[in-house]
Amino acid sequence: MIDEALEHLVKGIVDNPQEVVITEKTHRRGTTLEVRVHPEDIGKVIGRNGRTARALRTVVSAIAGRSVRVDLIEADEGSGSR
Amino acid sequence: MSEATTEVAIDEKESPKKSQIERLEEEGDVAADYLEALLDITDLDGDIDIDVENGRAALSIAGGKLNHLVGSNGEVLDALQELTRLAVQTSLGERSRLMLDIDNFRSDKKEELAKLAHETADEVKSTGESIKLKPMNAFERKVIHDTIQEIGLTSESEGEEPNRCVVVLPE
Repeated sequence: MIDEALEHLVKGIVDNPQEVVITEKTHRRGTTLEVRVHPEDIGKVIGRNGRTARALRTVVSAIAGRSVRVDLIEADEGSGSR
Repeated sequence: MSEATTEVAIDEKESPKKSQIERLEEEGDVAADYLEALLDITDLDGDIDIDVENGRAALSIAGGKLNHLVGSNGEVLDALQELTRLAVQTSLGERSRLMLDIDNFRSDKKEELAKLAHETADEVKSTGESIKLKPMNAFERKVIHDTIQEIGLTSESEGEEPNRCVVVLPE
């Protein structure tokens, strides 16, 4: 559910919604949601001074009821920046 | 809420501004779709009301079990408002200044702050000395400034976020 919610939130704010891919990774210390977006959209999901990334993390953690790590990644890259 | 979720309250008499009102209504519709889908996905009940207030689209969600979408100090509500503004911008191509409220958090807060502004103004008037209030966010400071202006006094903000405060000045 939380991955679907994040997918919806991100798809609404990018120019290439069809290229948004969410991968959920569960590990001992919690959950990480990896968000892959089109390279042109990475600036959008991060926002000025990381404002949008922060908003996404705040809303996702609130919905999940626990701290969820959200990693924002350019689709072309193997590993990404936060 | 008393009105249907899709009902939009506007002043029809303002014909010269109609295109702007129409644009704000469109903003409200896009924002409501974005929020409604989020509520569906997360299995939360909420009625979304769309309005146009002070030249902005205003959306309010009423559900009763949405405290976690507000946050202890409205921080989740601010984040959700920010994302909704971006969704509108992405869809319509123009910046949005829409306001989002959930379970009357902002309207209750507004009342509380207006009361504080009145009490502070009374004290400033009787002592003739300025009073510096506690640090507040942009929304809270705006409510204080607006109320102080209505009272007929002046106020200014000082300091840097997140410690920016309103100072109420004597006449």
